[in-house]
Amino acid sequence: MKGVYLGELEELVLLTVGILYPEAYGVAVMDEIEKQAGRSLNISAVHSVLTRLEEKGLLTSKMNDPTEERGGRRKRIFHLTAAGKRSLEEAHQMRTQLFNQIPKVALQFQWV
Amino acid sequence: MKIQPPRWADRFLEWYCNPQLLEEIQGDAYELYYRTVKESKTKADLLFTWNVIRFFRWKNIKKTNKKITQSQASFAMIKNILVVTLRNFMRQPGHSLLNIGGLSVSFACAFLILLWVTFEYSFDQFHTDTNQIYSVVTHVKSDGAVQTYNAASAVLDVSLVPEVEKLVSVSTGDRWPHTLCFKPEAGAKECVYLNGVYSNENLFSVFNFSIIKGDPNPLTQPNTIAISEKMAYLLFNTDNPIGKTVKLDGLEAVVASVFKNIPTNSTLQFDFALTFDILKKKWGASEEVFAQNFFDTYLKTNKETGPARLTEKLNDVRVVTEAYKVQNISYQAVPLSDWRLKNKFENGKQAGGRIDYVMLFIIIGSLVVIMAVINFINMTTARATTRAKEIGIRKVTGAYRSSIVLQFVSESFLIVLIAFLIGALLTQLALPFFNSLLGEHVSIGILDGWVPFYLLALLIIISSLAGFYPAFVLSSFQPVKVLKNQFSTPFTGSQRLRKILLVIQLSVSAGIVIFSGVLYQQLNYITKKNLGFDRSNMIRIEPTGALLRNFEAFKNELRKNSSILSVGSANSNPLTTEGGNPGVTWPGKPKDQRTTFKTIGCSFEFPETFGLKIIEGRDFTSQPQDSLHTEVLVSAEAVKVMGLKNPLGEIIQIGAAQCVIIGVVNDFHTESLRASRLPAILYRVDYMHTAGIYIKYQPGTTQQSMAALNRVYSQFESNFTMKYWFQDDTFNEIYKTEITSSRLVVLFTIVALLIACVGIIGLATYNVHRKTKEIGIRRVFGASITQVMTVLTNEFLWVIIVAILIASPLAWMAANRWLASFAYRIEMPWWIYVATFAIISMITVAIICLQSLKTVLTNPTKTLRSE
Repeated sequence: MKGVYLGELEELVLLTVGILYPEAYGVAVMDEIEKQAGRSLNISAVHSVLTRLEEKGLLTSKMNDPTEERGGRRKRIFHLTAAGKRSLEEAHQMRTQLFNQIPKVALQFQWV
Repeated sequence: MKIQPPRWADRFLEWYCNPQLLEEIQGDAYELYYRTVKESKTKADLLFTWNVIRFFRWKNIKKTNKKITQSQASFAMIKNILVVTLRNFMRQPGHSLLNIGGLSVSFACAFLILLWVTFEYSFDQFHTDTNQIYSVVTHVKSDGAVQTYNAASAVLDVSLVPEVEKLVSVSTGDRWPHTLCFKPEAGAKECVYLNGVYSNENLFSVFNFSIIKGDPNPLTQPNTIAISEKMAYLLFNTDNPIGKTVKLDGLEAVVASVFKNIPTNSTLQFDFALTFDILKKKWGASEEVFAQNFFDTYLKTNKETGPARLTEKLNDVRVVTEAYKVQNISYQAVPLSDWRLKNKFENGKQAGGRIDYVMLFIIIGSLVVIMAVINFINMTTARATTRAKEIGIRKVTGAYRSSIVLQFVSESFLIVLIAFLIGALLTQLALPFFNSLLGEHVSIGILDGWVPFYLLALLIIISSLAGFYPAFVLSSFQPVKVLKNQFSTPFTGSQRLRKILLVIQLSVSAGIVIFSGVLYQQLNYITKKNLGFDRSNMIRIEPTGALLRNFEAFKNELRKNSSILSVGSANSNPLTTEGGNPGVTWPGKPKDQRTTFKTIGCSFEFPETFGLKIIEGRDFTSQPQDSLHTEVLVSAEAVKVMGLKNPLGEIIQIGAAQCVIIGVVNDFHTESLRASRLPAILYRVDYMHTAGIYIKYQPGTTQQSMAALNRVYSQFESNFTMKYWFQDDTFNEIYKTEITSSRLVVLFTIVALLIACVGIIGLATYNVHRKTKEIGIRRVFGASITQVMTVLTNEFLWVIIVAILIASPLAWMAANRWLASFAYRIEMPWWIYVATFAIISMITVAIICLQSLKTVLTNPTKTLRSE
């Protein structure tokens, strides 16, 4: 686990890339996050997260064929790598595990 | 597409964005733009601009960042670098001037050497297809030794060698009939002596001696002459003397062409060219006699044939001829381009020549430059102490290492450039002086031919050598340490290096000083050595037919002057009689013994004129000779070699001539002291067979004697102007190379010492600066000034000792090798080593003391208080 620590936004982006398979690229990820999580992100923020994740080896990317809607420019399509998938699983497992350890009474506690 | 996002934003994006990321970033931005533009163009434009600004991130611009900041900041950067350089220069003007001065002087030295070397290499390169021209040398093998002559048979027939296109024979020489007396047309009485050649019609087509006026191919008609521009002006005072007649004492020739003065970098030098027909007439030689002559011979081949193949073909028996083959004569083709630099043959093998000197000076020049660069590195790194804080601050405020390197490299470059320009200026100023020192005319300037490119290459190499090391050392400081004043640790490495460099430098200086000391001693020895005869206060004049016919009268007329002591004549100058005569036989000579003698034919006054001492028997007398036996005087050594118990009256043979020994004279040297002395025989000849008249006059009466001589000369010889030489000058001429090189060596000794001094000053300054506190503490604890000085000098003492230990054996080897080329030489003068050591130590100690005195004398409280 050492080294690969997933930030909150990173986890979100990583999950979105998984959801959008096989059409995950910058704008699509941004739109999906807005739709699913209601968080409005700037496209540059998405880009930097995607690049960071790629540098961590959790994502891989390749350029697709050019399309008309972008003035003939190609998109960079992101895929989850095995490491990415594992870190998602681990994060998920960690959360579930931790969540399950919360005493029932704590969840029923009422704030005054 | 009609709708476009704002152009400027788009352009800005394209400008800053890493090209590898541009496509996807721009794609995304465009996609969003097109999506939003359906709602509102303004909103889309704003969004696009916003996105572009948001994309302006470190990651996206990082790759192109370097280029951008550099090109953006270059002007400001250069300005800053210049300002900082200037400030540093002004802060320590003495130090900086020293630095630049040292560099400039050594650059000037190196440039002069470069010019000279380029000049030497440019010899004979101006001919078209110069690599297709070969010079023919002749090897003659006799008694196991091979003698090489720069000539080939006058009738060498190369029609059997298809590669040879043209052959040109050139008869050259210093004396009559190559040096002739010409009377200017304007009617001046004095005649001008000019030197020329005799050759065939190929002379001007093989070589590129350009013809300005007249027949482009002279020397086809027997009675024509081609003259140089200079000669045309001297004789006719016009540039178009075509068709005029030139008198060649007795003969006449018509000017057919005028050629441009021969460039100084040509091995062949002449002012006029005549045909061989005229030479035959001058010599009065028949065709058969003429054919036995050997002349300088050059071949032009039609394509590039290797010298080896050409040599092989030349040695074909049909080319060499049967008669020469029997005499063990063989030819060798030498490329003309090698002729100047590799013209020495030993035992038939190429053995260097001028190239040795060229190489020596290339080495010296490189050493001088290396020393200067070492100095520069030493002084720059030493100065780092004062600049460490500057570097620290620069780093703290965010300078990259690369920009600090850039700064220091540019600073070094600037200083090197300034020194370079000063050096070039010095070179140009010193060139005439250098020429007169060398006795040559280096006609290449600093801007000619390839020289500027060499200089440029040199500049780049030197400035990078001098700039990069200090730059990397200085830029490696860690700001934390530097700003906390802890920079002693990272410096130790470079300090050791500095000492090593100083050792190299001092070794070179010490080596040069020692070598030149030995050289000077030896030259002093040869010039002072008693040769066995007088050479001072003596004039040699070129005889003419009229003078020799009336020799007795001429002599008597001269002797009327009290200042003239004696007049004699001989067929060769005892100062410069080279080679030897192996054809001497004497009673009881073993069959297989081969002994070479110096044989000089002379008039009876010769021994007296030259101050030879008669040990046994009698001198020559004015009595006419015995018709049967030629009278000879032999040297004491000759008596010993011949093993004669009672030499007087013995009959010996020189060649076919029967000679009788009438006396024994003291031994005397007959050529450069490089060769060992040979036994000598003086035989009497008729005045008509002598080639030089020697006049001995009283010391201190040079002017008087010359006046008398001129008067008597014109009385006896009205057709010529007197040609004369002082024997002392002739003597110096023998050692011209040695004297020239000794002068140069002295020059370089001074430069070497100067540069070493600069180096020591630089390091001493640094050392004192570094040890200011140490000195203060020592003083506080009661150390005397002498004690502190000792501490400071001790460090350098070791450097000097190591340098001497390295330099001595190397200098000893070099000096020994040089001395070995003399048959008569001094013992290795050991005191020079001691003296060099003493001088260098003294200079060093003096410099250190002067530099540190101020600091040592400062009240220690002052130095210790400041932190």
